[in-house]
Amino acid sequence: MSAQALATASRVPAADAVLEVAGLSVRFGSLLAVDNVSFAAQRGRITSVIGPNGAGKSSLFNLISGAIRPSAGRVVFEGRDLTGAPPERMLAAGLARSFQITNLFFDLPVRENLRLAAQFIENGRGLFRGVGASRAALMRVDELIERFALQAQADELAGFLSHGEQRRLEIAVALAARPRLLLLDEPTQGMSHADTQDTEALIRSLAADGLSLLLVEHDVELVMNLSDHVVVMHQGAKLAEGPPLQVRADPAVQAAYFGDAREANHA
Amino acid sequence: MGALASSTTTAPAHGPGGAHGRTRDAARLLALLFFVLALGFAGTAFALGDVFFLRLATEALIFGGLALSVDLLLGRTGLLPLGQALFFGLGAYVAALTLKHGGGSFWLAMAAATAVSALAGLAGGLIAIRSKGVYFALISFGLAQVVSKVVYNTRELGASDGIIGVPQPTVLPGVGAADPLGFFLVVLVFVAAVYATLAYLGGTPFGRQLDAIRTNEHRVAFLGFDPWRYKLTAFVAAACIAGASGALYPMLRGFVSPELMFFQVSGNAVINVIVGGTGTLIGPLYGSALLTGLKSVVGSYTAHHHIVIGTLFVVVVILMPRGLIGYATPALQRWLDRRGGAR
Repeated sequence: MSAQALATASRVPAADAVLEVAGLSVRFGSLLAVDNVSFAAQRGRITSVIGPNGAGKSSLFNLISGAIRPSAGRVVFEGRDLTGAPPERMLAAGLARSFQITNLFFDLPVRENLRLAAQFIENGRGLFRGVGASRAALMRVDELIERFALQAQADELAGFLSHGEQRRLEIAVALAARPRLLLLDEPTQGMSHADTQDTEALIRSLAADGLSLLLVEHDVELVMNLSDHVVVMHQGAKLAEGPPLQVRADPAVQAAYFGDAREANHA
Repeated sequence: MGALASSTTTAPAHGPGGAHGRTRDAARLLALLFFVLALGFAGTAFALGDVFFLRLATEALIFGGLALSVDLLLGRTGLLPLGQALFFGLGAYVAALTLKHGGGSFWLAMAAATAVSALAGLAGGLIAIRSKGVYFALISFGLAQVVSKVVYNTRELGASDGIIGVPQPTVLPGVGAADPLGFFLVVLVFVAAVYATLAYLGGTPFGRQLDAIRTNEHRVAFLGFDPWRYKLTAFVAAACIAGASGALYPMLRGFVSPELMFFQVSGNAVINVIVGGTGTLIGPLYGSALLTGLKSVVGSYTAHHHIVIGTLFVVVVILMPRGLIGYATPALQRWLDRRGGAR
């Protein structure tokens, strides 16, 4: 990529932005966990948020997904202002999320976890008819079981799955309602190398299908490989953003993020 | 019941995690058994010319209706109501007043009691549903305390004496509350209808959403459903069931008193559910029958029947944390599977 291409990529006009975050802040007591963060995620692209522990990535995710209300700023999804909307309205608008700490219905079978999540596409129909009447939801469940290779586990309780399988189900559940923007909170958290590679391939295939993705990840290599656009956070604020190579070369990012490790290596 | 049968699509027949569907046959059998036993009991009592035990069994069924409302909240939605007697007593008072001053129609009394309970459930739900866990339990307890004390101190409602001399209505031509067998069957049909409705609800997306809320409320909102609405709906439905059950009480006994709203009644309903089997629906009915029967039988020997009931509760909770039916269902299913396999 040429320098000029890099420059334009980071200045893509907001017209094709699926998500725009402007001046977003949240304060917990005296701590400004997210401090005036603005960025945009482009449609059909993979945007990642990275930063050291405590940089405010998770709080940013919670703000965008409606888990917490911002103290200031705006969250605009597909041109609609959804600032402060509760999670169910965010999902109804087309924005879904997964969780860093697996957040499933552990006492229910895998299939039922997916059915609960897929029920949304029935649009409130058939709420008081047998679950078998919600055909679209059941077809969606079969689709997801196949795509996420959960056939063998479909009738197991979610709590009985291995960690890797639970992480996979976590993403499948988030996808069930056919969102247009998927927020993945550390999708490879605690995964083996092989599982991480599978997840990377999965994320690529989701993007190839036209889904817009916003990732929070610890695994910097994964982020650099996958992302079209990277937002770096540090102490609650945005430190830098741009295409992966540009971000990696940014001296401020190097100092705050990669710097520590390199100095340690040199020493 | 095609809709019910189709729930097998999410209910595995086998497999280690198939707790959902593995015990369906046994659960149905135990439910059927309850109603067959009830009919058998009614026939026997009628043949022997008994009145006392028929009346007692009718009361057990009425409290069974209250227990079903508790199971909807506790067993399905994961809310522990410690004041469900509020709606039971409210239904009883509304029915008593309607029967005494409003023409004495069974159907009008039932409709009025259910309607008032729905409104009270909505008001109470708006207050209580905001809270979770122990706070919900305490708020529901507090609401019942407040209302029962108000009733206790209201002269127009008979204060501590309650309302006596409630006329016994005619339900259908030839079947009235004054007829021990006829009214037992009326209450049995009522309880069966509530049971069937709740059992059906369990196989609908609405009912499954309640399971989801019980299991992991936090995630439900991220799947596009506002858990608050579902909890409020369940709370109002439970209030209606409790109120309609309570409406049957003055028809049976001819009076209502503030004690119907006291914690004793709320607490017993929760005990009936837990002893019978939380979330099993039929368990609470077994629990009500068992404990109401025990109380009467033990009570005829000693005034300290609470000691016996309390001990039984502790023993069941320790030995069978899932309650009698929660314990019996998988055991019966194993037996059914063995028998099925042998053939």
